[in-house]
Amino acid sequence: MMNVTIKISSLFRKFTDGQEFVKVTGNNTVECLHELEARFPKIKRWLYDKQGNLRPQIWFFVNGQKISADDLTKPLNDGDELFFVLAISGG
Amino acid sequence: MLDKSELARYERQILIPGWSKSGQEKLKKAKVLVAGVGGLGSAILTYLAVAGVGRIKIIDGDKVELSNLNRQVLHSDKDIGRDKVDSAKEKLEVLNPQINVEAIKETIDENNVFDILGDYLIVDAMDNLPARFLLNKVAVKKKLPLFHGAVYGFEGRATTVVPGKTACLRCLYQGVIPGKIPVVGVTPAIIGCIQASEVLKYILGIGELLTDRLLIYDGLSMKFSEVRLKRDPNCCECR
Ligand SMILES: [Zn+2]
Repeated sequence: MMNVTIKISSLFRKFTDGQEFVKVTGNNTVECLHELEARFPKIKRWLYDKQGNLRPQIWFFVNGQKISADDLTKPLNDGDELFFVLAISGG
Repeated sequence: MLDKSELARYERQILIPGWSKSGQEKLKKAKVLVAGVGGLGSAILTYLAVAGVGRIKIIDGDKVELSNLNRQVLHSDKDIGRDKVDSAKEKLEVLNPQINVEAIKETIDENNVFDILGDYLIVDAMDNLPARFLLNKVAVKKKLPLFHGAVYGFEGRATTVVPGKTACLRCLYQGVIPGKIPVVGVTPAIIGCIQASEVLKYILGIGELLTDRLLIYDGLSMKFSEVRLKRDPNCCECR
């Protein structure tokens, strides 16, 4: 299991007691998210749609590089930083 | 050629390294379209106008409402009920009488977007994703740069799309969660000024653009961060 730091963007920090960084372990992005949800269950409603699929309106980044849906199950390395933001469109 | 009053008006920016009189002439000849005259548009247009962008086209089909006024600073109480483009054009011509502002009171759609955009640089100041996708489609087809900004509450984003080279909006967005968008005026002001900076740099050919980079502004913790984007090889628009 890899040690991964999840950086929480401001819109989601209300679900992590205001924490900006949450340390988790997991082999890929999906596993890391499962640990995050287990600790902060209220975040689930934002990450998944009613069918239980990860919302395409959330963008994921590993070490600052955007990843695609196919990359969500790709192996992560020890020390990686996972970051996600909600797509926004206000003007 | 710049006349005496133009040289005086733009004196301070002409001093910027890499700008000079020839840069100012480039701005005077430039054609920029700003789609949306809301929160982002108000900031973008104000600063492109005073910087001396010679031909500015603005498009918006909406009328000014009271609930716009917390952020759309080109409009004021006496404009309520007027077309936003007319209200904006009037203010911009007062700010800088030496530029040309063309106002188009239309909502862009599949049928009119190609003609309206012409060969203008495209600034995306829309408030909804379908309209942004239309701008992106034309940008990709015509290989015109697109300067993107978006806001939500105290949070904002910006990136610059150069078709054929960088990720486009379709590489990035797969929808947004629906609902009324909370927003405070300072956020589109900051993001709009970033978009306007990108436009000026693009025209002048100076600095580094926000290409393949997404700038993320978090006004609550007052932090700017940046992530890298890449083209989606399966993008429905730009592949
Ligand atoms: Zn694309």
